[in-house]
Amino acid sequence: MLKNKLIQHCALLLTLFTGVSNIAHTQGLPPLTHNLTTVNPAFLAPELRFKDLDDDVIDIKNLKGKVIVVNFWATWCPPCRREMGSLERLYQATKEQNVEVLAVNIGEDIDTVFSFLGTIDPSPNFKILFDTNGDSMKKWGVKGLPTTYIVTPDGTIAYRAVGGREFDHPDLQKTIIKLLK
Amino acid sequence: MKYIIASLAFWFIPLIGYAGAKQSTNTNPVTGAKTWETHIDGVHFSLTQILPDQLRAFYVNRGFTLKQIEPYVSSCVYMTVLRNDSAPGDIHFISNNWSIFVNNKPHKLKSVDEWINYYKKTAVTKSAIIAFRWAQFPPEHEYKVGGDWNQGMLSIGLAYGATFNAIATWDIAGKEFKAKLTGVQCAKK
Repeated sequence: MLKNKLIQHCALLLTLFTGVSNIAHTQGLPPLTHNLTTVNPAFLAPELRFKDLDDDVIDIKNLKGKVIVVNFWATWCPPCRREMGSLERLYQATKEQNVEVLAVNIGEDIDTVFSFLGTIDPSPNFKILFDTNGDSMKKWGVKGLPTTYIVTPDGTIAYRAVGGREFDHPDLQKTIIKLLK
Repeated sequence: MKYIIASLAFWFIPLIGYAGAKQSTNTNPVTGAKTWETHIDGVHFSLTQILPDQLRAFYVNRGFTLKQIEPYVSSCVYMTVLRNDSAPGDIHFISNNWSIFVNNKPHKLKSVDEWINYYKKTAVTKSAIIAFRWAQFPPEHEYKVGGDWNQGMLSIGLAYGATFNAIATWDIAGKEFKAKLTGVQCAKK
């Protein structure tokens, strides 16, 4: 009984101070890579339409003409958390060049995500979308988190990344920028 | 000639590598959690103990009660990593087909679907089940060369403190490859 109370207190403390589990910090995590793998043949991006942090509906259909980085993630997913800062740096470096970043959170509420975002440095300014039921996972063929797709200006998926990446790596940024030409 | 050599290498290097793959073990100095890992044929495979209290804290934060998550906590759970660094092609795996041996006797893994079906029959909330599902190591996936990977939880279905050997398998264009970890221990209670 005492142990149960201790665990509940520990869980509460974790929520209050970090908003996430400490599991990631206890693992010898493998380094993140910076490769994107080619999707061949390229195919049309499935529909993606969810509310963002401001309660505005974001529809990928309305973003044609831009390169879109679609990242599926959750706050409890260690590699998702590790790559989040690099996604923001990618966004800052490319937003003036017609690149959009959409980070689709799976199954969590706004409060959980909002408190987590405050722990990320730099804190994300790109759009966070909420797929509370995880409905988009099957449509997009996501089998594990994180998974990221790079959508070309004409709406086809050109690249995929399964697992965490360093999105601010120059090679990766070059690959994305090339899609604008 | 070089095509013949390349073809032979494709078929025989896995066997040579499997026989000679080195396994390493390390212990987290803070938590005491142990990791068993190996790198073979360009693929990294590791199992890291997730301690029972870590699991309880993680899932209570995701909406489970302690009572609800206890069957999973006591099933010997590992943070599992599989990563295609430089395999001779894209790898495909079905993690439920991986082999576990206890005292040389095969032991069947409890699948993610079995866990999901179990929890759907309980009062666990939908959002907690979604978190549970996506926190698990993928039941099936394909990883391209150059760093595709996943990290997720894998329930072995053994008691606290049990010791086993694990063989992860994957295929490249239908050819099977293996990575073996021996003497892996479940976390203690």
